[in-house]
Amino acid sequence: MAGSGGRDRAVKLAVRDVRIGYRERRNGRFFAAVQNLSFEIKDNEFIAIVGPSGCGKTTFLSAVAGLIEIASGSLELNGHAIQGPGPDRSLVFQQHSLFPWRTVTANVGFGLEAQGRLDEHGRRRVSDLIELVGLNGKEGKYPRELSGGMSQRVNLARALATDPDLLLLDEPFAALDAQTREVMQEELTRVWQADSASGGKTALFITHDVPEAVYLADRVLVFSASPGRLVESVDIDLPRPRDPGVKRSKEFAELNDHVLGLVMQQAAISRGGAR
Amino acid sequence: MTQTQTRPETGEAVLPATALDRRPSFVARNRTVLLGLLGAFVVLLAWQLSVWAELVDPKFSSSPFGAVEGLKYLNDSGLLWQPTLDTLQSVGLGMLISMAIGIPLGLVIGRSVVLHGLLEPLIGIMYSVPFVVFLPIIIFWFGIDGTARLVIVVWSALFPLLINVISGARNLDGNYLQVSRVFCAGPLRTLWSVALPGTMPYILAGLRQAVGRALVGAIVAELFMGTSGLGYVVQTETANFQLDHSMAAIAVIAVIAVVLTRGVAWLENRLTFWSASVG
Ligand SMILES: Nc1ncnc2c1ncn2[C@@H]1O[C@H](COP(=O)(O)OP(=O)(O)OP(=O)(O)O)[C@@H](O)[C@H]1O
Ligand SMILES: [Mg+2]
Repeated sequence: MAGSGGRDRAVKLAVRDVRIGYRERRNGRFFAAVQNLSFEIKDNEFIAIVGPSGCGKTTFLSAVAGLIEIASGSLELNGHAIQGPGPDRSLVFQQHSLFPWRTVTANVGFGLEAQGRLDEHGRRRVSDLIELVGLNGKEGKYPRELSGGMSQRVNLARALATDPDLLLLDEPFAALDAQTREVMQEELTRVWQADSASGGKTALFITHDVPEAVYLADRVLVFSASPGRLVESVDIDLPRPRDPGVKRSKEFAELNDHVLGLVMQQAAISRGGAR
Repeated sequence: MTQTQTRPETGEAVLPATALDRRPSFVARNRTVLLGLLGAFVVLLAWQLSVWAELVDPKFSSSPFGAVEGLKYLNDSGLLWQPTLDTLQSVGLGMLISMAIGIPLGLVIGRSVVLHGLLEPLIGIMYSVPFVVFLPIIIFWFGIDGTARLVIVVWSALFPLLINVISGARNLDGNYLQVSRVFCAGPLRTLWSVALPGTMPYILAGLRQAVGRALVGAIVAELFMGTSGLGYVVQTETANFQLDHSMAAIAVIAVIAVVLTRGVAWLENRLTFWSASVG
């Protein structure tokens, strides 16, 4: 399960010279949020993306999810260009995305239901996942009765339920308080290791929190200030399974300082550009 | 959604009773209702007293006791239940038609930029113009039989419903639609599982307005071109100077109005409990 030793593994996601942007509504001018972006993700890698605010991380993730189109370059999943959303990917949204009129169980089952897979087996998978993310006894609750941490557990379970090939997470823990966030990071690593329905998964995790990125990922990609491109890919060769104690190790501190330095540098450029 | 109730099925902790717990008194629990009843009672009393004091002539003003007598007369002469059923039937049928048209149409218009641009001004105008002015035209088109009455009920109920459903569909949280897309839900699934429940609070607010207007529409239709219904009873009894009988019929209409709006409010509580002030 080592993170960096995967040179021979199959390429899961190939990003080549990608540019993504938005057209301004008034004058129709194109504005690039992501430009000259190139990298590859291997099978079963857990990738974290960090970068200054507004550098196009969400934009990039939405493009991988198939929600927006790329303007140029190529974006291939398992060797096929991404055309739109597909059952091979799911997205954990930042917040406010659970359906308030559905119970925990019904929310977790939504993806399977939408894809016509909520049969006997699907229902078992839903209840297994609810147990796995530690929500036993909350099956019949509605989102407004849940705390922020519980909501994000449901969000995670919903994304895992469809058994995606590639899991996309957009700052899933950003809205949580520091303690809950630590708990959720541990939960995510645990769930990641425990949920082997298809034997291993690839994940793309966006965060603002550098220690979170280093703790969770096999590899951290640092994005530049807007328009986003890859500045550096940092291999995190900390042993797995990781427990929170690893955060106090010397190796962790070194990797953390390195990534933090890169991010601060880009953030400074981003502030300078805004002036 | 009280948190203090026992929920054995979820094994949730129940707050232990303490010496300081006090069940609120009956008056405290039902204060709004009691105050409302008291207000109505005072007005009725004043009315009855001014009749007894011969300040007004009951031949013109009727009186609360007279209206009760009138109710008995209506009941005895078959002018109570059948007309009530007729009115309710107009309202019910009209509401069903309005919902069958208004909810799907509203969802589609609200989600389509082009349709919304095309139809929104028209619908807004139709909503603002008092529907009663269309009465002569509707009579001209449909005559004065049951169809015409139904048309008026639908005409009056449809637009408030439509307006609310449209604004609900337009205000539908974009996040929900994104979730729907990410998990590859088809358009019908999205409409049924996301757009419909997501706009349910608006739909029910629309229904609450619509049901009130449907009743007005039904009564107006009966007043002007009726051969049955409570509005017709009011019309004929007043023409015969039987104010007590008219008042009785009006009281029945009031009860229907309250029951209908309360019914929708109850439905709102049942169906949109999830959107009630996020706790
Ligand atoms: N729907 C949109 N229309 C137009 N411009 C947009 C849209 N969404 C984002 N942008 C712009 O694209 C750029 C990148 O935005 P994006 O949300 O991808 O950044 P981000 O890296 O996710 O930022 P953060 O870390 O703050 O979430 C920003 O300059 C933003 O203003
Ligand atoms: Mg973002």
